[in-house]
Amino acid sequence: MLTHLNSASHKPARVVVIGAGGFVGNAIASRLEKDGIAVLRLARREVDLLASDAADRLAGLLKEGDSVVAAAAMAPCKTPDMLKDNIVLAGAIVRALARVPATHVVNISSDAVFGDEPLPLTEASPRAPGSYHGVMHLAREIMFAGELKVPVATLRPTLIYGAGDPHNGYGPNQFRRKANKGEAITLFGEGEERRDHVAVEDVGEIAAQVLAHRSTGSLDVASGTVTSFRAVAELAVRLSGKSVAVSGSSRRGPMPHNGYRPFDIAATGRAFPAFRYTSLADGMARAQKAEFPDG
Amino acid sequence: MSPVVGFAGMTHLGINSAVATAARGFAVVGYHDDAALIARLQRRDMPVVEPGLDELVAANWERLVFTADAAELARCDVVYIAADVPTDDEARSDLAPILALIDRVAGAMRNDAILVVLCQVPPGFCRKLTQIPQERLIYQVETLIFGRAVERALHPERFIIGCADPGRSLPAAYATVVKAFDCPLLVMRYESAELAKISINFCLVASVSVANTLAEISEAIGADWSEIVPALKLDRRIGQYSYLAPGLGISGGNLERDLRTVINIGEAEGTDVGVVKAWFDNSRHRKDWTWRTLQQAVLAAKPDAVIAVLGLAYKENTHSTKNSPSLQLLSHLEDKAVRVHDPVVPGTAAPKAKFCATALECINGADVVVLATPWQEYSELRLEDLAQAMRGRVIIDPYRLLRGDRARALGFAYHALGAPASMPD
Repeated sequence: MLTHLNSASHKPARVVVIGAGGFVGNAIASRLEKDGIAVLRLARREVDLLASDAADRLAGLLKEGDSVVAAAAMAPCKTPDMLKDNIVLAGAIVRALARVPATHVVNISSDAVFGDEPLPLTEASPRAPGSYHGVMHLAREIMFAGELKVPVATLRPTLIYGAGDPHNGYGPNQFRRKANKGEAITLFGEGEERRDHVAVEDVGEIAAQVLAHRSTGSLDVASGTVTSFRAVAELAVRLSGKSVAVSGSSRRGPMPHNGYRPFDIAATGRAFPAFRYTSLADGMARAQKAEFPDG
Repeated sequence: MSPVVGFAGMTHLGINSAVATAARGFAVVGYHDDAALIARLQRRDMPVVEPGLDELVAANWERLVFTADAAELARCDVVYIAADVPTDDEARSDLAPILALIDRVAGAMRNDAILVVLCQVPPGFCRKLTQIPQERLIYQVETLIFGRAVERALHPERFIIGCADPGRSLPAAYATVVKAFDCPLLVMRYESAELAKISINFCLVASVSVANTLAEISEAIGADWSEIVPALKLDRRIGQYSYLAPGLGISGGNLERDLRTVINIGEAEGTDVGVVKAWFDNSRHRKDWTWRTLQQAVLAAKPDAVIAVLGLAYKENTHSTKNSPSLQLLSHLEDKAVRVHDPVVPGTAAPKAKFCATALECINGADVVVLATPWQEYSELRLEDLAQAMRGRVIIDPYRLLRGDRARALGFAYHALGAPASMPD
């Protein structure tokens, strides 16, 4: 649930996007720049957050009164070493922000902080991560909430897709790229598990609105609709215009999240009544046009 | 000549008893003063749902006559009174309709015909009747079980027969009828027979109350009542047909009526009926199990949850909703998003909820499904279909119609009577 410190929308003076070289950080920075907001994009080139002097260097780049988006992380976090590095990285951000007080901090977290619940996930669902990635984000949430004395908003996107995603993980982007290259798509099992996919542009839009309202609290960023991976693959094939086979495979191990992870997105509607999530079909068509304009 | 048998009161009891008597080879006259009901019966359109009833009617149609004219009872050698004895919210009987029916029937019967009170009456009722001489008045205990009425009417375990003087032989025409059912006849004085009916129900209530009390203990301490039941049923003193399935309190009206009757007698006569009051209290507490579970498992976290309630009848194979736990649950949910389904009971029984034509339509998009009535068709629901159709993953299945272990494997939280809730792996 979010609380708006600015009931009306105000352009922030400057937004520092830490992790602007990443998929989500870049989308947020681009969305803000479109509105003519001053954005300082910080990527690894500007400051290496694992370096021993990272907090000093970052503090040197921040100005008091900045709004800050913390989108830097080594994701997805899959090993104990990655977890350790991510904690070091987040520690540098927190130490820098403790030295140069921002007016508002937006932490890009993840729905991985939640366990599996029998009811659709909401912002109030218990945080009970079952993965290193979820543990990493939960640790970050606790660090930001505990160490910073400024208003903090936590955004928890679910599976993000869109043009320019460097991860190419199992899901809409990988399926779309395979289809456009004419490569067969192989699903885990029959691709029956249903998940929520959110467009990266929607994450950017929500972040921009949160910054404009100087919101505090937490918000799940999810479309509210679940789609099976098979349906996603078939959609990717249709968009590519190619003739590509979609086939199942024998599943190794249990389905993540018991094959179903829905969200109740009522809190988004309450926080931003005019906002509407992009449908998966529209979002994937947009990504198709951006990545394969001639496809 | 084979006696002609009349049944006055085409109630659930009357219809099933009349059809079973025709099936034993007797000509039967079914009388009711509601001409519309009689017209329906004459079209073979049975107003009650019982397994096997329609087939039995068809097979014995030539021996069945339905009439709204009491004068036709003059053809009968034996006339059963099979009125409904309604109960109020306090489970007290209203005897006015049955007394009125006895007046009407006694006036229409021949002077040598036998009147049999088949419906449930309080102890002392028959001895006080003056409309008919006591040598022509019989009280016969009914043991109708909703949902098994045809089977019970065709193959009774025994007849419990009350008469003014058990030392005298039964009237010949009546004896011919009851002997045709080929079961033991237990003849006793009116008062004993009237109390025998209550005694049977008390044994059932006692068993059910044991099951309900210890099922709740099982839920609390991690035992599973369903594992305990077979051990009890193999004990001869308890028995394989004992009522040990945990339920949502006592429903249907008849058992409650008997409890109330005995409390009233006990208070008037100064006998101890504390245990009977305790059964009532336990029933009331247990009836809210579903509501308590729904609150804890769903509404505490999600007050606006979409709730699917499957079943409105108080139990399977009946259209009766008297004291139905489902309606009791719905009374708590009037301001909630609720959808209901029942294969037989119409949606008018739950006017505040959205009535759905099928069970699957009912659960579509629901956060939680409550299987409130153990209809067979609900036990045939596929958990995969539930997982596909529902938004949430909570099943409240008091009677264990679905497989809890499979539900858990599919990511459901599963709540049943008699065992702790199981959460997804």
